Amino acid sequence: MIRRLYVHNFRCLENFELLIADMPSSLLIGKNGSGKSTVGSALEVLQSLARGTNRVSQLVRPADFPRGRSGAPLRFEIEADIGDKVFEYVLALELPEGFKELRVREERLSVAGKLIFSRESSQVQFANARREAAANFLVDWHLAALPVIQAQSPTDPLNTFKAWLANMLILAPIPYLITGESEGETLFPDRQVKNFGEWFSGLLALAPAAYTQIDKYLKGVMPDFKEFKNPFSGTDFRSLTIQFQQEGASLTLPLSGLSDGEKCFFVCAAVLAANQASGPFFCFWDEPDNYLSLKEVGHFVMTLRRSFQEQGQLLVTSHNPEAIRQFSDENTLLLYRRSHLEPTQIRPIAGLQEPIRGDLIGALIRDDIEP
Amino acid sequence: MSVNKFLPYVYILPEDDADRQIANGFVLDSLVNLRAVQVLPPPGGWRKVRDEFEQIHCGLMSGNPNQHIVLLVDFDDQTVDRMKQMRAFIPKSLADRVFVIGVESEPERLKVAIGTSYEQIGQDLARECRGTTRDKWSHFLLKHNSAELDRMTPILKPILFPTS
Repeated sequence: MIRRLYVHNFRCLENFELLIADMPSSLLIGKNGSGKSTVGSALEVLQSLARGTNRVSQLVRPADFPRGRSGAPLRFEIEADIGDKVFEYVLALELPEGFKELRVREERLSVAGKLIFSRESSQVQFANARREAAANFLVDWHLAALPVIQAQSPTDPLNTFKAWLANMLILAPIPYLITGESEGETLFPDRQVKNFGEWFSGLLALAPAAYTQIDKYLKGVMPDFKEFKNPFSGTDFRSLTIQFQQEGASLTLPLSGLSDGEKCFFVCAAVLAANQASGPFFCFWDEPDNYLSLKEVGHFVMTLRRSFQEQGQLLVTSHNPEAIRQFSDENTLLLYRRSHLEPTQIRPIAGLQEPIRGDLIGALIRDDIEP
Repeated sequence: MSVNKFLPYVYILPEDDADRQIANGFVLDSLVNLRAVQVLPPPGGWRKVRDEFEQIHCGLMSGNPNQHIVLLVDFDDQTVDRMKQMRAFIPKSLADRVFVIGVESEPERLKVAIGTSYEQIGQDLARECRGTTRDKWSHFLLKHNSAELDRMTPILKPILFPTS
């Protein structure tokens, strides 16, 4: 569970601190351009590191500095409870004058206050398995060290942290791009969930029991849903098909034949099953209400909340009144930006300086809400 | 689908945002059947709850015996009068499917008195609804609901907590 995410000098996030300790689920609200999706992008930088991207230029670009202000470092810090330990990872990047590519200025991982490795520029200091003596080595300053340092055992905290970070789900599904076809398996859905077929196959291969949960969820939202199949069609190629049945008549469709909202049901089912079967996960979902009919929104969001109430952590964004109403003052965070020239501010609704007059939805519609 | 209207279901109509958050906590309970309950948008005031019930739900409920409704209102320290004012608008034919509960004064006072969030209050109340104890429900700001709880438990518990 993330306790704290600190981001500095990354797009509209300057000295930005997201505090969500002990919040199994929370909601980011705010006007367009206030920085909600950018929080997802910041998390995605960290996730990409753990998924093996170590070239700094593939993580961030000079354009990510706010208004070209590259004089100060770009900084990511994440503090998370994983198992019974607190992990803290820091990555600071800089763009010296004349450079076209950012480089690492500082990098550090500690567990329960004990340093795993630290780094300044290219010099990495790494503690051994007993954390007694330090080994020093150099890493190209255009590469992050986290992805390249070899864990010393499966139970090495380095491994634990990287696995947790890599397993984060950062989602903003685009149903048009979700086909259900796959040529392999993965446990890492991409942000737009273009690789849904691979993810679905990977999830079922890892935890066949996930089938039952996915089936149960889909039957709840689509009463005529009968079953899904993910057969091979060719040597390595799978294609997800869904069978519907009503009063003896049946219809089989490929996933691509479903509506955008129905594809989102499948994404939701996979998230729920993944969190239960191989979680706990952290999940950031940018506007989960997109593509859903109004009557579905509340149950969709509340179902997600309920799953992450049991384990894991959910962070969503929304503009949808029905989605917003599924959260409460203590777990709704307002992101606010006066203009494109100013950074994002964040404040829990419960901690606003001026109490909201009337209900939150009305205040958002009237644009009558400031931190 | 949202609630399944072909099976018994419950709408919760909260008076205001604070009541809505208590209701949110209630449905967060892992054993509440989400497909049998829906928290409706708060109309903003007990009179508006009463009006919405009369103008919208009375007709709907007459046409669908599966619908039940919990009117979640603030009693504003006028427990007896407020209940009378609400009951006056409930047709006898629907009386066994309409329930009126709420905080004796207002939720803000309950939140301060208990010292937890609205959601946590809702979760605690849900846990007691599916169990047998009524510690939270016996709080001095909630205990006036006991008769209504006695009336609603045998009807709503099997709908809301089918596995309990």
